[in-house]
Amino acid sequence: MKSKTTILLADDHAVLRAGLRLLLSQEAHLEVIGEAESGLETLRLAEELQPDLILLDISMPGLNGLEAISLLRKRVPQTRILILTMHDDVHYLRQALQNGASGYVLKKAADVELLSAIQAVMQGEIYVHSSMTRSLLEDILPVAQSTPPEQWDLLSEREKEVLRLVAYGYTSQEIADQLGLSAKTIETYRARGMEKLGLSSRAALVRFALSKGLISAE
Amino acid sequence: MQIHPSLRNLLQRFWDIAGGVSVRSKILGIVLGLVLLLGLGITVQVRQALTQTMAAQLAEQSVSVARDLAARSTDLILLNDLFALHRLLQETKANNQNVAYAFLLDSQGHVLASTFGETFPVDLITANPIEPTAHHRTLIFATNQGYVWDTAVPILEGQVGVARVGLSDTSLRATLTTITNQLLLTTALVSLIGVTAATFLTWILTRPILDLAQAAQAVARGDFTQRVKRWANDEIGELATAFNQMVGELAKADEIRREREILRRQLLEKVIVTQEEERKRIARELHDSTSQTLTSLIMGLKVMESSCSDLNIQLQAHDLRQIAAQTLEEVHDLAMQLRPRLLDDLGLRAALERLVKEWQMRHRLSIDLMYHVPHERLPDVVETALYRIIQEALTNVARHAQARNVSVLIEQRGEELVAVVEDDGVGFDISRIEMGDSAQAHLGLAGMQERAALLGGTITFESEIGRGTSIYIQLPIPKAEENEVENYDFARG
Repeated sequence: MKSKTTILLADDHAVLRAGLRLLLSQEAHLEVIGEAESGLETLRLAEELQPDLILLDISMPGLNGLEAISLLRKRVPQTRILILTMHDDVHYLRQALQNGASGYVLKKAADVELLSAIQAVMQGEIYVHSSMTRSLLEDILPVAQSTPPEQWDLLSEREKEVLRLVAYGYTSQEIADQLGLSAKTIETYRARGMEKLGLSSRAALVRFALSKGLISAE
Repeated sequence: MQIHPSLRNLLQRFWDIAGGVSVRSKILGIVLGLVLLLGLGITVQVRQALTQTMAAQLAEQSVSVARDLAARSTDLILLNDLFALHRLLQETKANNQNVAYAFLLDSQGHVLASTFGETFPVDLITANPIEPTAHHRTLIFATNQGYVWDTAVPILEGQVGVARVGLSDTSLRATLTTITNQLLLTTALVSLIGVTAATFLTWILTRPILDLAQAAQAVARGDFTQRVKRWANDEIGELATAFNQMVGELAKADEIRREREILRRQLLEKVIVTQEEERKRIARELHDSTSQTLTSLIMGLKVMESSCSDLNIQLQAHDLRQIAAQTLEEVHDLAMQLRPRLLDDLGLRAALERLVKEWQMRHRLSIDLMYHVPHERLPDVVETALYRIIQEALTNVARHAQARNVSVLIEQRGEELVAVVEDDGVGFDISRIEMGDSAQAHLGLAGMQERAALLGGTITFESEIGRGTSIYIQLPIPKAEENEVENYDFARG
């Protein structure tokens, strides 16, 4: 077993790399063995240096971090990848983890979390910044939504027709013109139909209609 | 000036009728009225003059016939030749068709001879008594066969008798009737000719006017190629020329307006694109440079904090790190507000999910986002436009709607994208917004419309006080993108 964990810094900002180097140099068991400024350089250096860990930024010129992850996983499979980024959005997190990153640390929390994240990742765990775990879980767990009862068949033909058109995103006036009724009447049909189905919004109606195959995108 | 109400009513009614009929009817009315008035006036006048003249002649005639009868009958009476007297009377009647009757009286007033035969009207003898010394006496009797001019002439100063002659106006009346009929017929004929001529004239007059009206309607519909023919060199011809000039000017003005509109569009597009680019650049700068520097600073402070043994410096370094962290947070938010990196990197869906989440936290709204578009990514301009429009819509909801639930829906319908932002808030009176009642809100809505219009899309608002607001955005999916998607699907399939 190596005595030190070798680290490759991949970030296009020199000033940030300098800060990181300073922070990591405080830890005796960590050693920064290279710095890369772009995705391609990261790939090249990773193959050349075979580091234990890559601290990878998402936004980089050329090949970006998210794309680099998949390639790195193929070329240097034993190297762990820890994302260090400004992006606090769950979409990036999800994408990074899907592509094979082992951890996700926000730069704004680097001073506090980075060292423990490196430790966790090197022990084979997945590390995700605490503020983001919730959104990740929300994303994974099925959203607790009130599934409307099977009451579609209880609707009158007019109500069904109106709701279908509402789900397609037509304006009340357009629906009114199409069915030869007044916009007010359309509103009434719509409100009654939605109430019968227990739906509260147009978005919920569309979700319901799609799940029941009542409308199609094309 | 005060006009009596009933008079005003009458004038009004006249104007309603006169103003209601066409120009053709007016001109026909004038012509017909004039001809008929003239014809009838002349007829009446001629009848009157003729009647007077003929009556005077009849009176003269009656005197001369009576005198002639008296002169010729004197000898015959003295001889008492009744047969000759009788023949004389018959002759007198036969010679003049106006003579209705003639008879002779002796000095005692007995009838010597008459044209009546057996049934002599006895009253007639005393109807026209005459002094023996008088020259003659004429009276006018009204009988059931018209007027009769009865003249009595004494024979030899009444010593022998009296000659009486009656002249009727029957033939006079017949002549009058004939002349009247002829005049009326002429009037009718002239009326007919007048009406025909007037019809033709009004056709000449109204045809260019109708042409003008038709052309004006076409121009009103926006057809500036309309020109009218100058039919004649009269006032209407002048009008036609002026009209053509006006349409020419209008066409020019319209062309200028159109060019300006195109220019305005281009300028607006440029402004929007530039603004977006600028925001992107600043956001990137904040994100890439400022944030990284701040992060580096934070890490340096952290190192300083943990490596220094002086407690005071440790505490100060900690505080400074907190400040730097706070600044970093603010810079990050600012970059996000300017232009979410997410929109470029991961697309509209991710950016909207993020926006919705942020809005929910910041404004305590329940926002239900439904994104259902088959394509992975849409063209940049479409994604940016939709993002900005929905951002503006949500801003309006947060500012004005007092809503609790908002629904954001994006889906594909045939060849176009449809986005709906719907809330259950207080709603507003659309007509008042469109009239520019609230300049601020108006500007916001107008901005959304302009953005959509630049991509060939439309925005429709539906709202009612107390029933929430729905904003519908329709954008065509650009053709180039469709080809790409088709290829993509093909490659996949």
